Amino acid sequence: MKVMDRRTLVARLREVVGAPHVLTRPEDLVVYEQDAFLVAHASPDIVVLPGAAAEVGTVIALARAAGVPVIARGAGTGLNGGSIPVAGGLMLVLTRMNRILEIDARSRLAVVEPGVVNIDLSAASARDGLFYAPDPGSQGVSTIGGNVGNNAGGPHCLAYGVTGNHVLGMEVVLSSGEIMTVGSPAVDAPGYDLAGLLVGSEGTLGVITRITVRLLRQAEAVRTLLAVFETIDDASQTVSEVIAAGIVPTAMEMIDAVVMRAVEAAIHAGYPADAGAVLLIEVEGHVQALPGLMERIAAVAKRHRPRVLRQANSARERELLWKGRKEGAGALGRLAPSYYLHDGVVPRTKLPEVMAKVAAIARTHGLVIGNLFHAGDGNLHPTILFDPRQPGMLARVVQAGEEILRACVAAGGSITGEHGVGIEKREYMRWLFTEADLQAMRRVKDAFDPTGLLNPGKLLPDVMSSGAQADVKSPAFSVRPRAGLWS
Amino acid sequence: MSVASDQLIDRLTSELGTDSVITDRATLEAHAVDGLVPRAVCSPGDAAQVAAAIRVCGEAGAAIAPRGGGTAVALGNVPHRVDVVLRTDRLAALVEHDDANLTATMEAGMTLAHLQTHLAQRGQLLPLDPPRPDRATIGGIVAASTNGARRMFYGGVRDLVIGMKMVLPGGEQVKAGGKVVKNVAGYDMCKLFVGSLGTLGIITEVTCKMTPLPERALTIIARDGGSTAEGSGAFRLIDALFASTLQPSAIAVLSPRAGELVRAGGPGVATAVAVEGFTEAVDRHVRDITGMAAAAGLSAEVLEGPAHERLWAAVADFPRSREGEALVRLTVPPGAVATAVDALSRVDDSPVYVAHAGAGTIWIGVEAARAATVFAALTSVAGAQHGHAVLASAPPEVKRGLDVWGSPPPALSIMREIKQRFDPQQLLNPGRFVAFL
Ligand SMILES: Cc1cc2nc3c(=O)[nH]c(=O)nc-3n(C[C@H](O)[C@H](O)[C@H](O)COP(=O)(O)OP(=O)(O)OC[C@H]3O[C@@H](n4cnc5c(N)ncnc54)[C@H](O)[C@@H]3O)c2cc1C
Repeated sequence: MKVMDRRTLVARLREVVGAPHVLTRPEDLVVYEQDAFLVAHASPDIVVLPGAAAEVGTVIALARAAGVPVIARGAGTGLNGGSIPVAGGLMLVLTRMNRILEIDARSRLAVVEPGVVNIDLSAASARDGLFYAPDPGSQGVSTIGGNVGNNAGGPHCLAYGVTGNHVLGMEVVLSSGEIMTVGSPAVDAPGYDLAGLLVGSEGTLGVITRITVRLLRQAEAVRTLLAVFETIDDASQTVSEVIAAGIVPTAMEMIDAVVMRAVEAAIHAGYPADAGAVLLIEVEGHVQALPGLMERIAAVAKRHRPRVLRQANSARERELLWKGRKEGAGALGRLAPSYYLHDGVVPRTKLPEVMAKVAAIARTHGLVIGNLFHAGDGNLHPTILFDPRQPGMLARVVQAGEEILRACVAAGGSITGEHGVGIEKREYMRWLFTEADLQAMRRVKDAFDPTGLLNPGKLLPDVMSSGAQADVKSPAFSVRPRAGLWS
Repeated sequence: MSVASDQLIDRLTSELGTDSVITDRATLEAHAVDGLVPRAVCSPGDAAQVAAAIRVCGEAGAAIAPRGGGTAVALGNVPHRVDVVLRTDRLAALVEHDDANLTATMEAGMTLAHLQTHLAQRGQLLPLDPPRPDRATIGGIVAASTNGARRMFYGGVRDLVIGMKMVLPGGEQVKAGGKVVKNVAGYDMCKLFVGSLGTLGIITEVTCKMTPLPERALTIIARDGGSTAEGSGAFRLIDALFASTLQPSAIAVLSPRAGELVRAGGPGVATAVAVEGFTEAVDRHVRDITGMAAAAGLSAEVLEGPAHERLWAAVADFPRSREGEALVRLTVPPGAVATAVDALSRVDDSPVYVAHAGAGTIWIGVEAARAATVFAALTSVAGAQHGHAVLASAPPEVKRGLDVWGSPPPALSIMREIKQRFDPQQLLNPGRFVAFL
């Protein structure tokens, strides 16, 4: 690749976005070498914080002329390494573009810049009795642009759907530097559903500079039920039977014993430390309807001998119940120097079986695995606790993770439900998709970004040379050392 | 270049068998697309035969028009060419209904009615409402992205499809998504194929999310008896609904003439609100909505059982193509439906429309002779509201003079690139899609 002289490029970038918004010193760049995929890192060569779509367009055109890859980044909370610049390059950090441009309460939609923090949109729409439904655990920091990049989910996506169900349209800057509108505030924009394709494209098709999202009406009432079970199997059976009974609660979250103990030690949420699993079930709707619904759910739970079945009776009690779920990851973090948070999906009926397999995998590898996850969707998050300083440990952790994901695939599920592929799961894509399936996806990539300028090395595995074994490589943790395209 | 017909037909016959390739005049004419009569109609029996048929057509340079139940065959521009109509009628099996998991996988040619009958026995449904569910197939509904009034509550086709299998123009058999309700492994290829109108590949199998059958379902129908200006009472009611926490599953506003067509009874504009769910929730909706209707100056009546079902079947059936008539689909943000309906009555003094007010979709019936003029006027109405007007059905002679999808979409260049990469030979429905793709 032809690389433009670095000094010239930096000077041009400073003209476009202003000198303070172009970072080049190693001590400034180091902040951007990692996301929440804690086991890999690589430094960008240049970081640019644009203030408007037109600037993004010019920056991309410059990067293209210079032959430098472009990596979009929101808050960097992604768990798949999607914003790690594995091939170096220019990172576009969109956090300065954080204006809510419009809230149309009557049409229940909002237009936002990509750097808007998820929770800020719900806070702003609450004035009109509305909210933005996708609620990833990271919603206090992650950006809507990053949520769109990864098609983020969250606890309440069980009833309300994931990010892709709430994005109507967007403005996107292509690898040519051209600014384009896809989708629209009205449904069924003629043509291919490019907005649908861009959701979950992990910054590989275009850089999103404006998003039109759907807002929902806040429910009149909410009820939260805490059910504590002796075994994780009882909890899993309950989830599966609630769904089979034709009830789709707004959220159905599970916390296992490992996480419960960690949470208790940290914040005293009131979970019994010796039980097998906790289910947090929430329903929303009208005051007249909720008691009946709660009774039906409780009846299902009772078949599995819960030790505790408790309803939150006030907003404060509800918050406390949720606090345990929300702080779960942080609390786990205190149990070990590092953790590897996985993300797999299975048909909900397969939860009991696959949870048993996860436990067996932990035993085989002598690892501690905690589980707190979106059980209602069948979306597992086994979290492997480990000490990276122990020799050979990372390899064991990766091995266990792969076995878990293989178990999900074998059960008819998928390698990722909401965290995405990034660098982490590129190679695992072959477990789900044939070379022909992947080739169809590559056609999409080529249509948008024929030269491969945008976020190289993510989402799709490399083309398999003919005759090569369908052997899966482990994730590329050892990425390019800090050196830079120009050194 | 295209080979002789008999050679093409011989090759198809040797791949699919004599019974699956039909060439008699009457059948060919019955499968004409916008007046273009194909040279053969074939019905492959499985995905491998679909692939074989596509390869044969590819080698012969023969254009393919995929076809399910034929209920949406009027949608799209007049194709450049139609050589072979490829039917999915022999791909009609239910592959798997994982009822405990609320998902089901169907072959593309299964009719929606057939599926619903099966699902109902297990207390579930697929909440899609196309015209003619007895003929409309799953594959056709997905390819044409046929949405109905319940979209506001259950989501549209794009939200309900979680996986599919398709055969691409090169004959490759590929899949997208899977059978789990959350899945972000790679690009969401299902989204690309939903609404692609058979221009990228032939869908052979679809997996969707199902919904539990509601415990109770009914309709509150509110009428202005012709007393208010076009729909103003209706939209006062709808504004009140939107300002509340109520969650109806569908809202349809019927113009007086559309009301007659769907036999909604009574003069004036009618607003039908469907409510589905557990009994306590439904009762609460009836109470509140009846009150809102009275406050908006409307008289309300509750329809239950067969009357409720008949009404919504007729509403779903309204946008079907009718001989000698044209149909325009106007989509706007939900808050702009009232303004659009108002503008509509300035285009036509006594418009025939059904507005899915929750989703923002307005279906307008027009006499064929006035279709081009009305479509042009509605295109500006749509433009003013950030929406879209599509001439969803019209006689070919009307369609030839215009692009039924309206002006080219802003992202046309990318759409072209995609079409070019999937179908470089222009085999599938050439010319039918936006900007004659
Ligand atoms: C504690 C914790 C809890 C979490 N809980 C959840 C959860 O419940 N559900 C869930 O789904 N995820 C969860 N996540 C993962 C993560 O927060 C989400 O993936 C989130 O959407 C990432 O947003 P971000 O702003 O941090 O994006 P980043 O990490 O900066 O970027 C994510 C991806 O999107 C791309 N991207 C970013 N901005 C743009 C743009 N403007 N245009 C194009 N591409 C762009 C990037 O290149 C990258 O590939 C959690 C993470 C943490 C650390």
